[in-house]
Amino acid sequence: MKIINNLKYTYKKYGFLLQQLVSRDFKVKYKRSVLGIFWSLLYPILMMAVMAIVFSNVFRMSTPGVSYLAYLMIGLTFFNYFSEASNLAMSSVVSNFSLINKVYIPKYIFPLSKCLFVGINFLLTLIPLYAVIIFTGTGLNWWHLLLPFSFVCLFLFTVGMGFILSTISVFLRDMFYIYGIITTIWTYLTPIMYDISIINPTLQFIMKFNPMYQFINFARTIILYGNCPTIGQFAGCFVSAIVIFFIGIFVFKKNQDKFIYYV
Amino acid sequence: MKKKEIMIDVDHVSMRFNLGIEKGFSLKQAFVDLFNKEKRKKRKNNEFWALKDVDFKINKGEVVGFIGSNGAGKSTLLKVVAGVMKPTKGKVDVYGNVCPMIELGAGFDPQLTARENIYLNGAVMGYSKELIDSKFDEIVEFSELRDFLDVPVQNFSSGMVARLAFSIATIVEPEILIVDEILSVGDIAFQAKSEAKMMQMIGGGTTVLFVSHSIEQIKKMCERVVWIEHGVVQKIGGKEVCDEYMRKMGVENDELYK
Repeated sequence: MKIINNLKYTYKKYGFLLQQLVSRDFKVKYKRSVLGIFWSLLYPILMMAVMAIVFSNVFRMSTPGVSYLAYLMIGLTFFNYFSEASNLAMSSVVSNFSLINKVYIPKYIFPLSKCLFVGINFLLTLIPLYAVIIFTGTGLNWWHLLLPFSFVCLFLFTVGMGFILSTISVFLRDMFYIYGIITTIWTYLTPIMYDISIINPTLQFIMKFNPMYQFINFARTIILYGNCPTIGQFAGCFVSAIVIFFIGIFVFKKNQDKFIYYV
Repeated sequence: MKKKEIMIDVDHVSMRFNLGIEKGFSLKQAFVDLFNKEKRKKRKNNEFWALKDVDFKINKGEVVGFIGSNGAGKSTLLKVVAGVMKPTKGKVDVYGNVCPMIELGAGFDPQLTARENIYLNGAVMGYSKELIDSKFDEIVEFSELRDFLDVPVQNFSSGMVARLAFSIATIVEPEILIVDEILSVGDIAFQAKSEAKMMQMIGGGTTVLFVSHSIEQIKKMCERVVWIEHGVVQKIGGKEVCDEYMRKMGVENDELYK
């Protein structure tokens, strides 16, 4: 009860600021662009088109039984959210130093606002995702109602990562470059454009510890195969999200008072 | 007799900066340190106490001025009171909402318009949406920037930015106001206007912490003066502290500051 009251109080006090920061990002993002918010819809489709052309024609990738386009699109939608949000969250504390240095604001609000901002964008990219699902004849089913579970897990995981990354980057600015490399490796270690069954079983087993694989696989089970995810899949998503989320909070909270010395 | 109510209690506060950390850590440094033990030791012990055992209380409605030479620790002290920094030792208790006016316009986004920035900066200062809605016209009126409401702030002159920031910052009457050298914003007319506004806030029972290098201003506005030098409080008292400070600084002639 105390925690809930605390949350309520915090939201009342800083909810408006959070909302302002998110809307600031939106305004700035599409400022002076002709297509504006339509880019959020167009961009994922174009990305998918390019990758689909490269991987299905050049590398002869395919996913037996299901549409490769839909397969690719699900992976891209999830992974793009993660990589964009975690990258923005990482730099959010450092780039707001001028504020942190002058006014007391809870510092977690910066990574959180970035994850929310990209999150709204993510919801918009569901439109092109569903366009692809329908266009490729993949079809809809009632299990789609379970998808928000994976969205929430993805969000919590990303917020946790954002907390960890933004903390590290305060002390070690090299993290911006290191993480760029890490994201690239991560993209290839997550079965986004290939089917996990084409790699050897040992590696497959290791890959299952990749939280991004858990979230994407959860969504694919529903969208592509029309099945209800197994208890194991639910648990996989939930545990990886919650663990990283709380590690993130712990790391951030423990270090946030020191941020000010590294301006 | 009215009972004095303590608003700010600075309790034996010390603040340490590690200059070694401040300068950052790099591979090159690590390499040098590896071969040069002395240098490493020196870097480790490169501490700097910005504040040493600062201890005072401020009552409700008091206007307190802080004086001291550059780098004496005044701004650090205000940051500690504002909650931006946690003291290394000791603690600060603040009873009331604090409005820090330390470097105005820090919360602006240059790409957004003045209108959008009023809301953004207001949110940063902790205002609610309803409050900004209701005070919006007042802010615009005071800043005299009505014609530029929909212009991105990056196209403003620094004087205009300062006007807007001042107008947003002073629109509520906070219980504690922290002012760090800002009365010199804008043109002469706006300076007079902002000073009048400050005086009005002071008259309204706001507790004010005020840093300035203009001794005249301090004398005019403050009833208590805290003199800090090298992080140590030299003297706390009435306006006479100003004179002592000036004598110490070798400025015998008050006229210089007029």
